[in-house]
Amino acid sequence: MANHNIPYAVLHGMNVPTSFIHQEGSSFDFGELEEAIVLQGVKIRNDDEAKAPLFTTGRPAATLEMFPSWPMRFHQTPRVGSSKSGGESTDSGSAVNTNSSKTENQLEPESPISTKKTTPLDQQQGMASDISRTGTSIAKLPQEKRRGSTSEKQLDAKTLRRLAQNREAARKSRLRKKAYVQQLESSRIKLTQLEQDLQRARSQGFFLGGCAAAVGNISTGAAIFDMEYSRWLEDDQRHMSELRTGLNAHLSDSDLRIIVDSYISHYDELFRLKVAAVKADVFHLLTGMWATPAERCFLWMGGFRPSELIKMLISQLDPLTEQQVMGIYSLQHSSQQAEEALTQGLEQLHQSLIDTVAGGPVIDGMQQMAVALGKLANLEGFVRQADNLRQQTLHQLSRILTVRQAARCFLMIGEYYGRLRALSSLWASRPRESMMGDDHSCQTTTDLQMVQPSQNHFSNF
Amino acid sequence: MHYQGESWGYYMPTSSMPSDTMERVVKLASESAVVIFSLSSCCMCHAVKRLFCGMGVNPTVYELDQDLRGKEMERALMRLLGNSQAVPVVFIGGKLIGSMDRVMASHINGTLVPLLKEAGALWL
Repeated sequence: MANHNIPYAVLHGMNVPTSFIHQEGSSFDFGELEEAIVLQGVKIRNDDEAKAPLFTTGRPAATLEMFPSWPMRFHQTPRVGSSKSGGESTDSGSAVNTNSSKTENQLEPESPISTKKTTPLDQQQGMASDISRTGTSIAKLPQEKRRGSTSEKQLDAKTLRRLAQNREAARKSRLRKKAYVQQLESSRIKLTQLEQDLQRARSQGFFLGGCAAAVGNISTGAAIFDMEYSRWLEDDQRHMSELRTGLNAHLSDSDLRIIVDSYISHYDELFRLKVAAVKADVFHLLTGMWATPAERCFLWMGGFRPSELIKMLISQLDPLTEQQVMGIYSLQHSSQQAEEALTQGLEQLHQSLIDTVAGGPVIDGMQQMAVALGKLANLEGFVRQADNLRQQTLHQLSRILTVRQAARCFLMIGEYYGRLRALSSLWASRPRESMMGDDHSCQTTTDLQMVQPSQNHFSNF
Repeated sequence: MHYQGESWGYYMPTSSMPSDTMERVVKLASESAVVIFSLSSCCMCHAVKRLFCGMGVNPTVYELDQDLRGKEMERALMRLLGNSQAVPVVFIGGKLIGSMDRVMASHINGTLVPLLKEAGALWL
């Protein structure tokens, strides 16, 4: 991560003014690099002469290690003439950009360097202001060249002009950077507000896939399942309209069979997702946080209770043949027995867990925890068996019923859970006592409008 | 439900031959109409026992943690089932039905009851 945005010059240790290292994404400013190179060259020419403190700190400028112990960041610019850019800052480059020294100070809250090295820098400051003054008056150059000042005679007109342009570019880039930082700050505030809104909405039971992991304490496995489940719900809508259209269009049995089979596969997909979710975070499934509050109310071992579903369907599946009626009641009976068996097994697990956690005189703390952990893992098995039961029940339903009956049946199931979810939304946004009067009706109406348009079956509900 | 097993001091020369153990498993499985191999601490085993009792069936249960050769039999069952979970495992009429998921699937799809009747474990 460290290197991917660092300009070439910096990476290769060239002594460059850092003001040209822009915020990520903006282009590399060759003007300023050029300036640095020029100044390097000038410095090399002057090695034999008296020190030109403007361009060197008296140490070889080969390495750029501005803040060696600090990761490379783009906000950091060395301070011009300030006591903070001690040690290994790129004084030569930054020294030229004097007009921005104040803004640079403001943009660098994170500079770790606070040592005070005054002597060479004071001199630099003096030289720097010299340069900035002379930089704009190119005409004076030839005269300056003839002057005794050691630094100025090295700069010809072309160089000075270029330096001036570079300074201007640097100033512009600093302004851009400032604007960018301000934008970042306001985005950050907005983001915090959004997160708060999400948290509030989530606690009220609205289902939000995708952003779950960023909000609240939710494990990765749970967040992934929530995301996949929300996608599954969207698919469910699609399948249901296929079922509806298929039924209304009076398709042939074989055509309808394709739609019905694909709905069963759609549920098989959900159970596949849940297998992975059980392994990743069984508690997420058990507590039903992936479902809406109203669904959670009827939760049994991490999902719907098969016998309840069949009870809901029985009256609506008419007309059924006698054999079908027997099949459905037998299915209800056997799923009840299976549910009862699993519930009793889970109860035994609970009791065993209570005994372990409560502990006894013999067991030591760590071992007790290890044993408890092992028992907790058994929860996964129960949720898996419960999901298995749910899946088998749906498959058996489709075996007992004719194609058309199965299509109607699955449509009923989908609509039933859709209404439960809608109920959850309405409940969460229902008017409360503490709120002021007139807002109530507007809010409720809006929520009703929010409910899916396919809910024209409300009257039957 | 009645429990059987070699838990009252009956000594057998320890045999590490897997085929012997498997033979024992098969032999025990065919001695009763419904046989469940279980561990007394296993909650899923408890669930499968409750399932059969709830149906009015009287299964023969072997608690492998209380059997002298229980460990070997567990390993043999793991090999038989092809997974790391040896128990619970159910045999009906001497035939392997499988673990909890297979048992429940066959109950839901209606094949379990006929099997039980056929093995004489259920009457009507």
